[in-house]
Amino acid sequence: MSGAAPGVGGEPARAEAIRAENVVKAFGKVTALAGVSLHVARGETLGVLGDNGAGKSTLIKILTGYHRPDAGQVFVDGRPVELASVDDARALGIECVYQDLALVNGLSIYHNMFLNREPLRWGPLRLLDHRAMRRRAAEALAEIGVDVPSVELEVGMLSGGQRQAIAVARAVYSNARILLLDEPLAAMGAREARLIIELIERLRARGDIAIVMIAHNYAQTLEICDRVMLMQHGEVTFESPAATTSAEELLDIVRREYRAIRTR
Amino acid sequence: MLRPEASVIVVSVALIAYFEIANANFLTNDNLQTVSQFVAAPVIIACGEIMLLICREIDLSVGQVFALSPFIMGHAEALGMPVVAAIVAALAACALIGLAIGLITIGLKVPSFITTLGMLFLITGITLTISRGFPANIPGGPFLTGIMGAWGYSEIVWAFLIVAVMHVVLRHTRWGLHTTAIGGNIVAAAEAGIAINRIKIGNFILTSTLGGFTGLLEAFRVGSADPLAGGSGIMFLGVASGVIGGTAIAGGAGTIVGGLVGGIMLGVLQDGFTLQGINAFTFDIIIGVAILVAMVANIHLARLRGGGRG
Repeated sequence: MSGAAPGVGGEPARAEAIRAENVVKAFGKVTALAGVSLHVARGETLGVLGDNGAGKSTLIKILTGYHRPDAGQVFVDGRPVELASVDDARALGIECVYQDLALVNGLSIYHNMFLNREPLRWGPLRLLDHRAMRRRAAEALAEIGVDVPSVELEVGMLSGGQRQAIAVARAVYSNARILLLDEPLAAMGAREARLIIELIERLRARGDIAIVMIAHNYAQTLEICDRVMLMQHGEVTFESPAATTSAEELLDIVRREYRAIRTR
Repeated sequence: MLRPEASVIVVSVALIAYFEIANANFLTNDNLQTVSQFVAAPVIIACGEIMLLICREIDLSVGQVFALSPFIMGHAEALGMPVVAAIVAALAACALIGLAIGLITIGLKVPSFITTLGMLFLITGITLTISRGFPANIPGGPFLTGIMGAWGYSEIVWAFLIVAVMHVVLRHTRWGLHTTAIGGNIVAAAEAGIAINRIKIGNFILTSTLGGFTGLLEAFRVGSADPLAGGSGIMFLGVASGVIGGTAIAGGAGTIVGGLVGGIMLGVLQDGFTLQGINAFTFDIIIGVAILVAMVANIHLARLRGGGRG
């Protein structure tokens, strides 16, 4: 249950953490995913871009065990896995952080960090160990560089960026090694976004976490991620290291697609 | 931020001071017993309702369970059980009613407001049927009767005991924390793997059992079981105690101590105005206004506190 796995510094890092091959998923007559493949290594950040309805959320929900694919295979650490439930995925170290759904506003930061994993005091009464929770929550936040005035603050008092940081910290603390971030920068001001971008960069630098980030903003995603992948109508239409592409190139691909639809 | 309990304590102390100045009989042993009896029943019922309100449920039928439980005890005793066993049997029956409410609410996805509204009429019918509409004598020797309510302060001692236990449950156990989490953000609670249904059903069982226990205390105090005792009046006093003490009607926040001070404030008002000789009709107006003011304050405080979302 300890928070920090030993950080793998330098080489030989980059072991493959998660891979999906030809994943297909249809809901009735609507094909949400028409054979999508992806792979992410430890210490790598993959950005998944695309418009609404491109299949990004369905892909995430398959990787978190929420949906089961109609065809295709998911591998974790190179081994084929069946993700039949969210608990299955979690047991393999896969955690997804949703911006608005993750935290209970009326509870303190430390209660949120330990929700349903609360340490208990020794003795027959099984009482909550608030002191241990406060100390360990503060340590866990300090370790990944999330700065809050006090872990006793109610989450509802925090800004969107701080809440997102707490949610990410909780996933990391609970041993997430494959971290899926659903629109981590949506509806966030520049300063708030900076907070989260720096957090993601620190997590990547640890080298033991693979990050998949769903996003809308091309420029931001290229800045944060090692590699980006563009999804359109349930397929991956473009994939490139972030360093060798640009927001313009990505926009061009999307525009070409729309032009094709209009002239059809 | 000013805690709601704190303002209620200030108001209660001011009321006590006012009644003591206006009427020298307020802080006498006799009157304190009377106040404590006004306070105890709503406070014990509030302990259950607060747990339910926090996880976004309510039990409207707890006052009817209150009336039913002494009759179950009486029948169990008439069947040859010792009185203590008959008390346990009555509480077990009340727990089963809570279980039924919980299973219907959760299993059939009926809002608890509706489930317990139905239960309210159903249980009244059962009580009237098994009592044939008449009060019944309460069994038991003087010692047991004294502990269970006949001694002037025994009800309030029970109330304080239950408040202490429930405060620990709400603030210092996983049960209480998860109850709060469910009311605050049910999606997040489910994401964290909290057994939402189990906790809600447990809180229904708790509330019915506490309602039945309060009914027993009142029956032992009065010396007889009354098929028309309790009812919606005692239920609303319990809910009002909780809400006056800061429990959010929309769930996710509340304290047991708040329910205690809310109940004390209502009891002091009730007793003080009775001592003053205020007409019962006027009295209902005053109580109604007090509850309205407290609830409006509660809702606006919640909006100020949480940023609203949940």
